[in-house]
Amino acid sequence: MNRPTIIAKLVEILGPLSEERVPVIGEDTQLTGDLELDSLKIMEMLTDAEDAFDISIPINEVSDVKTVGDLADVIQKIGTNA
Amino acid sequence: MKQNPRLQAVQAVREELAKIGIDPFGVQIDRIVSPTEGIIQGRPTILAGTNNYLGMTFDESCIAAARSALETQGTGTTGSRMANGSYASHRDLERDLARFYGKRDAIVFSTGYQANLGMISALTGPGDTVMIDADSHASIYDGCRLSGATTIRFRHNDAADLAKRLHRLRDDAANAVIVLEGVYSMLGDRAPLREFVDVKLKYGATLVVDEAHSMGVLGEKGRGLAEEQGVLDDIDYVVGTFSKSLGNTGGFCVGNSANMDLLRYASRPYVFTASLAPATIAATRQALRVLEGASDRRQRLQENAERLHAGLSARGFRLGAAPNAVVAVLVGDKLEALRFWDHLLKNGVYVNLMVPPATPGNESLLRCSVSAAHTPKQIDSICDAFASWTGSHA
Repeated sequence: MNRPTIIAKLVEILGPLSEERVPVIGEDTQLTGDLELDSLKIMEMLTDAEDAFDISIPINEVSDVKTVGDLADVIQKIGTNA
Repeated sequence: MKQNPRLQAVQAVREELAKIGIDPFGVQIDRIVSPTEGIIQGRPTILAGTNNYLGMTFDESCIAAARSALETQGTGTTGSRMANGSYASHRDLERDLARFYGKRDAIVFSTGYQANLGMISALTGPGDTVMIDADSHASIYDGCRLSGATTIRFRHNDAADLAKRLHRLRDDAANAVIVLEGVYSMLGDRAPLREFVDVKLKYGATLVVDEAHSMGVLGEKGRGLAEEQGVLDDIDYVVGTFSKSLGNTGGFCVGNSANMDLLRYASRPYVFTASLAPATIAATRQALRVLEGASDRRQRLQENAERLHAGLSARGFRLGAAPNAVVAVLVGDKLEALRFWDHLLKNGVYVNLMVPPATPGNESLLRCSVSAAHTPKQIDSICDAFASWTGSHA
């Protein structure tokens, strides 16, 4: 799956969780900074993403994730290795 | 003084609590009276938050065993077992635990926390995969971090979700290590162990079950949820603690692996820490003997749990799980839970305040741990104290 498609899907997943804190969600949007997602919401979002992409995202891989683009990179890497 | 940015979040919470004037994390029991009573803030208080499930802390035979070991073997071992030597009693306790569970061997750790840390980090390392329940205790998460293994969470108590994730690993699934808890400490809910065992057997993975909150509580002999559900033989490693039903401190792992002695020396939390004091070992050995035959205590514990569960349900409280030694009242809002907790303490009942993110589902909890040593009157008093909040708050 290519990166733009992954980002589009993540934007779709993040929509209901973001409570309209930013006008547009994009690859530079910060998950905790801009969207103010707490650790529980992050977990919920990751589980939704795992289902959407049919992958498992190891928790070691997400500690450095700050933006939607960072997460898309992780998903693309896992998808490529799968 | 130089500010440490890592402590700022803790400092912010402390300041918030100071403004409210309630400190739920610094409770001091000024005098301990019995397994279920203490003096807190000058008041006689029912202890319903100490995990003393069988009331073992004041068992006369355990105290006598500890006293004798203290007088004959001294106060401490002053070092780690690997570097400074084991006492014979450390090995005796390991044999006792192996016999109790019907497993080949056991390893004793200095705390239950270290038992999870030690086993996960000895069994796995970078390049391996650990599959853990999303609601796992911090010691399991920390064990995964220490190991450096790839760590994958599955949905809480969802064997189908675990199977889906093992399937994604393809040929590597057989090398994965699955870590579960028998009873989860926050809500007191039980794992569907039979379903998980079926998944483990299908994929050939290794299964570790932490029975910290179910040892002594469940099963005919008190061997936990695995005994109750008849799956003890299919579990590769059982981890547990001495600090709950056994009324002491320390942790352990039992297993059938021929590598138990190698795991011991591959485990940094085992190697680089002081071993348990002789009095602790002696009291724990005795407590294990008592626990094995304590079906009467387990019966009383279950009756007390059902009484508390029914009493709180009848008063309209939302509870986390079916009757068990852990009865969690779901409160929702963090500030309300804090004030509710303080109200209970001022009315002579000590329970545990649990707030997100340590709790599942973003709910704040007032967590009660029931003891076989609670009297029915104490259980009713706990229910009345909860009800008085509803009354004073209405």
